[in-house]
Amino acid sequence: MSGPRGLIALSLAVLAVALALYPAVGTGYGVRAAVQMFMWVALAGSWNLISGLTGYVSFGHVAFFGVGAYAGAILVTSGGWPWPLAALAGGLAATLLAVLIGYPCLRLKGPYFAIAMLGLNEVLRALVSYFEGLTGGGNGLSLPTADATRPVYYVMGLLAVATTLGTYLIVTSRFGLRLMTIREDEIAAEAMGIDTFHHKLAAFLLSAAGPGIAGALMARDQGYIEPISVFPLAITVTMIVMVLFGGKGTVWGPVLGAVALFVIQELVWARYPYVHPLLFGAIIVAVVLLMPRGVLGLLQTRYRLPRTI
Amino acid sequence: MSVAVTPEMIGQVVISGVLSGALYAMVALGLALIFGVMRVINIAHGALLMLGAYVTFFLYSRAGLNPFLTVPIAMATLFVVGVLLQKSLVARVVDAPELSSLLLTFGISIALVNAAQNLFSSDLRAVEYVTGSWVVGGLALSRPRAIAFVFAGLVTGLAFLFLKTTRLGKAIRATSQSREVAMVCGIDVARIHLVTFGLASALAAGGGALLAVIVAIQPEMGGVWTFKSFLVIVLGGAGNYPGALLGGLLLGLVEQLASLFLTTQLSEVVAYVLLVLVLLVRPTGLLGGRQT
Repeated sequence: MSGPRGLIALSLAVLAVALALYPAVGTGYGVRAAVQMFMWVALAGSWNLISGLTGYVSFGHVAFFGVGAYAGAILVTSGGWPWPLAALAGGLAATLLAVLIGYPCLRLKGPYFAIAMLGLNEVLRALVSYFEGLTGGGNGLSLPTADATRPVYYVMGLLAVATTLGTYLIVTSRFGLRLMTIREDEIAAEAMGIDTFHHKLAAFLLSAAGPGIAGALMARDQGYIEPISVFPLAITVTMIVMVLFGGKGTVWGPVLGAVALFVIQELVWARYPYVHPLLFGAIIVAVVLLMPRGVLGLLQTRYRLPRTI
Repeated sequence: MSVAVTPEMIGQVVISGVLSGALYAMVALGLALIFGVMRVINIAHGALLMLGAYVTFFLYSRAGLNPFLTVPIAMATLFVVGVLLQKSLVARVVDAPELSSLLLTFGISIALVNAAQNLFSSDLRAVEYVTGSWVVGGLALSRPRAIAFVFAGLVTGLAFLFLKTTRLGKAIRATSQSREVAMVCGIDVARIHLVTFGLASALAAGGGALLAVIVAIQPEMGGVWTFKSFLVIVLGGAGNYPGALLGGLLLGLVEQLASLFLTTQLSEVVAYVLLVLVLLVRPTGLLGGRQT
């Protein structure tokens, strides 16, 4: 632990302490913005686990966010659960949904999974409106008022750290290597004896849990949810753009993409809400064609950085 | 739900199912062509359908054209758009891993839908040209849907005739069977890709143009159609073009049955469950298709 490694560890520790102390000094707006940023780090990192590592594109990851939000909100309002427990249950609900979708769709190679995820969102929105008694339908669901922004800040921060640390552990493990083998050549992976289906499914379940927890936390923080606020296509698009921009399949790419795009979004694009999705579409096209490995990929090539960052 | 089901109701379901099924088949044939020839799932298919719908809407509302006569115009316009998209963007990812083409067409779709929202607004627009229904032997036949059915059948028939008999059509089918062999036979594969993407976009646009006469349109209308077209391909068997016809009719019937026994609210849920079931039980499609 000397040289650059020690330096990196030291600066991460300083950053962690600074972030831990921030709510004591930050403004309400600042803390809320930080919660959002942590959320995006967790969401982007989660998307990266399935799509960046295995190459199976999830076009409907917001579904897990929305299901987590509804599960959490229902448990808090109807079940009287404390919100941290409800957040864990939200993660569990999202994971269960991932089993339902992943089991039939990940057994197959090819685009089946991508399309199944594309349709999932519409289905969930329809179901939420249909089971009005439980979900409040289009009227939404109000949680009992509570000022939980500061505790949510810490839990969301932990979630972001856990997602990034988890990605690091996976990327540097044999499990991660197998996932990346599937991404590079699934048939070869199978020929080498990798149980591709169960590896893909495991990656998918891991990638669903984080968004589920994040959804439940956001529901608690905002105090009110409705179908359009927790199932918008825009959340999926933003996750994808962040990961592609930062560098898919890397540990720090999603973090970089999430922080950079979130800051730009808050400072610049918030003034132009109408062309914002157009820009995101254009960024996806440009990154896929011009720098498929994202910013971090460019840096890795230029400065010969290790693969595991 | 206890609904007394009469023979008339079943007849009505079959008719409505067949009417919408022809439209599904036509749009899905486009997606199937691109998938068959290039192994690319075009996520922007629904967005191209939406653009076709707007061509019809504007030609009808601004120029006062008969909306059914705008169908070929919408198709021709989107043929050009499709060729341009293929030439400038999609051609670069045809040989790349699947992730690239999925993400690229997803990005195109997001950009097109948002451009439409900015240019045309998100308001619902309707072409009210024909309304009401014909009553035939106690069964109601929605007029716009029936005319759209005839057009969809005609266009799909022509498309099959083209694929079956013309040199270009045969070249497209040959490329979809084996790109390498097609290349060796002297087929200009890049050109086939252009034509295929153009043709597929035209089929989507035709579907959109006909939809504009049937339902109110808005920029986000296409997403569901990308999904349903894919479902139709899966039902019929990927790479099996006639399978798209069967898949389309089947989806139309299942949706109508679902709206009879459940509620129309859940028709998308039913379509989704259908997709998952087919993938579980018979992933090669009902008619059998190529393994991917």
